[in-house]
Amino acid sequence: MRQKFHFDFIKNSKIFFCISLGIMLVCLILNIFVIPTRVDIQFTGGTIVKYSYSGNLKEKQITDVAQKATKETISFTFAENLASSDSNSHMVSLEFTNSKAITVDEQDEVTNALTEAFPDNTFKVEESSSVDASKGANFFAKCIAAVILASVLIIGYVAIRFKKIGGMSAGVMAVVALVHDLIIVYFVFAMFNMSLDDNFIAVILMILGYSVNDTIVIYDRIRENRRKMGPKATTKDVTNASVNQCFTRTICTTITTMAAIGSVLIVSLIYNIDSIISFALPMMIGLISGCYSSICIAIPLWVMWKNHSDNKKAQNDKNKKSNKKEKSVKLAKES
Amino acid sequence: MKRVGKWVFFVVFVLIMFLSYTSVFGIYGENGDYTLTYIKGIQDIRWGIDIKGGVEAVFAPANNVDATDDQMNAVKSIIDLRLVNQNVTDYELYPDFSNDRITVRFPWKSDEENYDPGEAIKELASTAQMVFRGGSSADGEELLTGKDVKNAYVSTVSTNGKSDYQIVVNLEFTNDGKTKFADATQKYLNQQISIWMDDTLISAPTVNSVISDGKCYIESSSSNNGTGFSAEEATALANKINAGALPFNLKIESYGTISPSLGTYALTAMGIASVAALCFIFLFMCIMYRVPGFVAFIALLGQLSLSLMAVSGYFTVFASFTMTIPGIAGMILSIGMGVDANIITAERIKDEIWTGKTLDGCIANGTKSSLSAIIDGNITIIIVAIILILVFGPANIFSSLFGVSTTGLIYAFGYTLLVGVISNFIMGVGASRLMLRSVSGLKFLRNKKLYGGAKK
Repeated sequence: MRQKFHFDFIKNSKIFFCISLGIMLVCLILNIFVIPTRVDIQFTGGTIVKYSYSGNLKEKQITDVAQKATKETISFTFAENLASSDSNSHMVSLEFTNSKAITVDEQDEVTNALTEAFPDNTFKVEESSSVDASKGANFFAKCIAAVILASVLIIGYVAIRFKKIGGMSAGVMAVVALVHDLIIVYFVFAMFNMSLDDNFIAVILMILGYSVNDTIVIYDRIRENRRKMGPKATTKDVTNASVNQCFTRTICTTITTMAAIGSVLIVSLIYNIDSIISFALPMMIGLISGCYSSICIAIPLWVMWKNHSDNKKAQNDKNKKSNKKEKSVKLAKES
Repeated sequence: MKRVGKWVFFVVFVLIMFLSYTSVFGIYGENGDYTLTYIKGIQDIRWGIDIKGGVEAVFAPANNVDATDDQMNAVKSIIDLRLVNQNVTDYELYPDFSNDRITVRFPWKSDEENYDPGEAIKELASTAQMVFRGGSSADGEELLTGKDVKNAYVSTVSTNGKSDYQIVVNLEFTNDGKTKFADATQKYLNQQISIWMDDTLISAPTVNSVISDGKCYIESSSSNNGTGFSAEEATALANKINAGALPFNLKIESYGTISPSLGTYALTAMGIASVAALCFIFLFMCIMYRVPGFVAFIALLGQLSLSLMAVSGYFTVFASFTMTIPGIAGMILSIGMGVDANIITAERIKDEIWTGKTLDGCIANGTKSSLSAIIDGNITIIIVAIILILVFGPANIFSSLFGVSTTGLIYAFGYTLLVGVISNFIMGVGASRLMLRSVSGLKFLRNKKLYGGAKK
């Protein structure tokens, strides 16, 4: 037999649970007390306008002019404009803190004020978005509905396909691992101070598919090994063998997927494209989490459930048997 | 195991190389000054507004007016008309009847340096100015305005009292409009009255009789020399007239603009990323799995070209899918996950080889036993991709609950993901197995070591 890496995943499952819970706890505390979650205007409603300009201007100059041109309070973010070949080009993004859609006219006033005050600096609107609050809430509700629908369908599919090894428990545990990954993805967004937007939903849905895929490949092995190893083998042994057999595959697939998404991340970091960074970074960590949660969370939990319900069943059978015995004794007495 | 001919590998290989080349570069011919497109390559892909720059806006009736479906159609036709007047042809319009919203999306006009998208959106949302004028020129006497029109609708009438039916556009006027129109028809009897929308002529019918009951119909359009309306023309005209008579203004509920420079920049970045990812996967697979790894990479190229074909349309008869940045990300992701099927199979073959069977037996067993895992794993991804498409598409399963979506970006991600998984079944599972069996017949490649066996 080929010598393969062997590790008792089931025995060490408590360590894994602790690691996961520990990370989540730390993130939660940080999230509550240090780094609050930012939600994009796509969900809350609001307005963001990004300008590019050339030349050196003091940040204070710009904020003063822009703030004077409108009644709304504006928060400013400054950055280099890497998209331009001109090395002296900058970007400033204005977020109107009031969570409503600012009208085109009001935006124009700010733009005009800036171009008039700094005629030599070629202020230009590079990007603008403006969302009504009701629209944003609506979009958010829809995203949540999509995630729930996908989870339900996945549980259903797993339950049907893996009936032989207790489909429902397998499905539920796959989804527990999923929830684990989704929480991790959420914390990545929170910890890196990236605002929750449609990228967040795309990542969540992607991880949903990926994480379940990983779990299912292992379930598939368990199903096969259950047949091969016979009824005498304990659930724990069958599962451990299966996880170890799948281990190389799980790692290799994660490596190739990470290579793909990692090159997206690196390139977008070099080019400084925010919209892609906030997609690739959580995806990357989500992939690691997805791979980890399949092996270290879903499968051990499933074994625990399985053992528990098997014990219960055995207990019930015993009870039934003893009941029967009593009955037969009774009958004997009566006769 | 049934042997597959050695030539099969080369046929599949050449085919995949051909597909890869054509799906990237396309095939073009020349006919004088014109370039003819036979096969569409990457340059023919229709890029979304996040890449080539553009404008997206959502309009809704102001003051929370509950608009009827007819009124929404009228709004749509006025926006249509105005976009065409602005010389925007490549636009998308999504009316959402249940929530009274209209989403419009159009690319940046490339020929204009100082294009002001804010102005363009404002123009689209401005109140429609409909005027009835005497005569057919723009400076004719102003007879009625949109306020005087109550309703316009399409119906059929029998023109000669018999079975000869004709499609007409009916006009109903308000009480004010009734008297004004009676006066106007008196004055312009047997002459033309023209209907103008935002200074664009939309119809110039000739007055056949004096109309005093506030109801009339237009029999034929001036554009087709009195041959009568087609049903479509009539509906379009009725919608335009209704738009001029809308009892509410439009407000801009949300809008966004992206300049083209940001987007093309992101596109370059994604291009570099995908080449880098492919190079890494090639090296990784060849080192890790040797012959099956190499075969897997060729299959991956095939998968990628199938995805590209599905996006660009490939053949000129198919329209290109609108590709956005998340769409490209979905594609790159499917590159990474695409080799998964091959990794599962290659691992199985390795296991089999260590049990000491013949090479052919190992490949047969390995491919057979890995199939169920591949199918189960991919179907869950298909479930996710389909939900993304159905939920975030222009018309979606949640339309009745949440209305049309503000963003089509995730939709593209779902589409490329789905296309990726399907191409993976064709190439990563189908073609690569064929190639592997064929290659294993080649003498110099029959060393088990090349399939992950022990070093001898």
